Amino acid sequence: MPKSNSPSKLAESIDDGAMDVSTPVETAATNSSYQCASLKKYRKVVTVDKPTPYSFDLGNLLAIDPNPVPADADETAITAIARDAAQVLINQLLTTCDIKSTSDGVTLNLPAPSTPIPREKPVPEAKPPTTWEKFAAKKGIKDKKRGEGKMVYDEATGEWVPKWGYKGKNKDGDDQWLVEVDEKKEMETGIAHNARADGRRERKEKVRRNERKQRANERKAGKGGR
Amino acid sequence: MLRTIKPKTARTKRILEKREPQVHENVKQCLFLKGTSSSEILKLAVTDLNSLLKPHTKKFTKPNPIHPFESVDSLNFLSLKNDCSHLVLSHHKKKRPHTLTFIRTFAHTVLDMLELHIDPETFRTISQFKNKKCAVGLKPMLAFSGTPFEGPVESRFTLAKSMLLDFFRGVEATGVDVEGLQYMIHFSASDEIPGEPAPIIRMRVYLVKTRRSGQKVPRVEVEEMGPRIDFTVGREQVAEEAVMKTALKKPKGLEPRTKKNITTDVVGDKMGKIHLGKQDFANLQTRKMKGLKRSREERKAGEETDAEEDGGVEVKRVQLEA
Repeated sequence: MPKSNSPSKLAESIDDGAMDVSTPVETAATNSSYQCASLKKYRKVVTVDKPTPYSFDLGNLLAIDPNPVPADADETAITAIARDAAQVLINQLLTTCDIKSTSDGVTLNLPAPSTPIPREKPVPEAKPPTTWEKFAAKKGIKDKKRGEGKMVYDEATGEWVPKWGYKGKNKDGDDQWLVEVDEKKEMETGIAHNARADGRRERKEKVRRNERKQRANERKAGKGGR
Repeated sequence: MLRTIKPKTARTKRILEKREPQVHENVKQCLFLKGTSSSEILKLAVTDLNSLLKPHTKKFTKPNPIHPFESVDSLNFLSLKNDCSHLVLSHHKKKRPHTLTFIRTFAHTVLDMLELHIDPETFRTISQFKNKKCAVGLKPMLAFSGTPFEGPVESRFTLAKSMLLDFFRGVEATGVDVEGLQYMIHFSASDEIPGEPAPIIRMRVYLVKTRRSGQKVPRVEVEEMGPRIDFTVGREQVAEEAVMKTALKKPKGLEPRTKKNITTDVVGDKMGKIHLGKQDFANLQTRKMKGLKRSREERKAGEETDAEEDGGVEVKRVQLEA
């Protein structure tokens, strides 16, 4: 190809097929790194001898050949170097990686890539905790397990009863035929207290308190725009 | 810069969330761009590189007035707009003929750049090699040969190695199908000799074929598939050290937690260390003998003391139902 050719002409000649490459049928035959007498013998050679050993990054399927490449290397020499690299890489992959054969085929488990490569975007920052998350952490409130329903098992009757509401488990103390008297409380208040009514009063108070808190929260949030 | 969008639909929200920084990152997308003027050789080279990198590419064909070593603004913009962190700009000028500028971005700002000039005389396209090609989108094997890539000091060649590895490595995989090891991209460069022009980087792509060798590992043969490109290294812009440091940071919790007392030795055998605790000799079962047995009176006395201990009953006042 004469050097005076302009790039566009060059491209045309590429399209015409003037510069098509006839791929050598047997690249191994030109392999100069083996000085074997018979072709058949070195076709079976699976090891590569180089003065400096290769290094690998199997996570990236990468082989690094630190041996010098001659400055006047032609295509066959480069092909030979590439073949050696491919051979060594496949040897390394097949000998050091776990091989798993399934019905889909044989897979190799690769180690994590070892060459440092920059990320595309920075490491994501942890989201700041919400007001609720901060409060829950302070109070030690944990998420209820998923799938935990409204019903609980009542061991006394052997039935599943609701935790709250009609015939709820939280009303257990209300209809006991026998209740212990809290003497301490009686001494403090000076009146005979009713343990059965206490439970109900406590529940009602809890509901009212929750509603109060809810209104306060809404008032607070309302400033931000709700 | 691009205005920040507040998603109006769930779909846009999902798309925007995908573009946010992730712990497990997607494959870096590559965007092929044209500079003010291009050449036929570049067009063919870009087509072939695009076919190697598919499906993680975008290819633009219209010329852009971009001069990467003067201003990176439009590159940053295009990276952000297309969510691509690899850019390849092709431009052809008398002073720098047949140039491909490989650009990496971090967080949509240019991290480093390297100019590679294609030698038009030795360039061959994929279609010029008349043989079967490998499947699209496979993870390639990569190989670098030659001393320049190995330099202990940072040079244009170590930058080229890092860049080319980043561009061509494909999907980050934990496993690979043996059938998928079909082709290898090989880069080679001869020694750097002071006083002479810098060596060229030869890029060759080979199909890898394995033959039975009668041994455990197969005999490997290669067959050139194309493209065949000889690159001359041009200008470069290295990353700022601080930026590179943040870019190389690894998110926490990606490495598997090491298990205590379990080790794997050189051969690959799993070794465990077990703590048995101290043996209590007082409870040791020795040989039973009639003479050592407790007599009947002794046993009876022991039972009586037990009964006395939990005999007391606490009395509580109770209120009966009203």
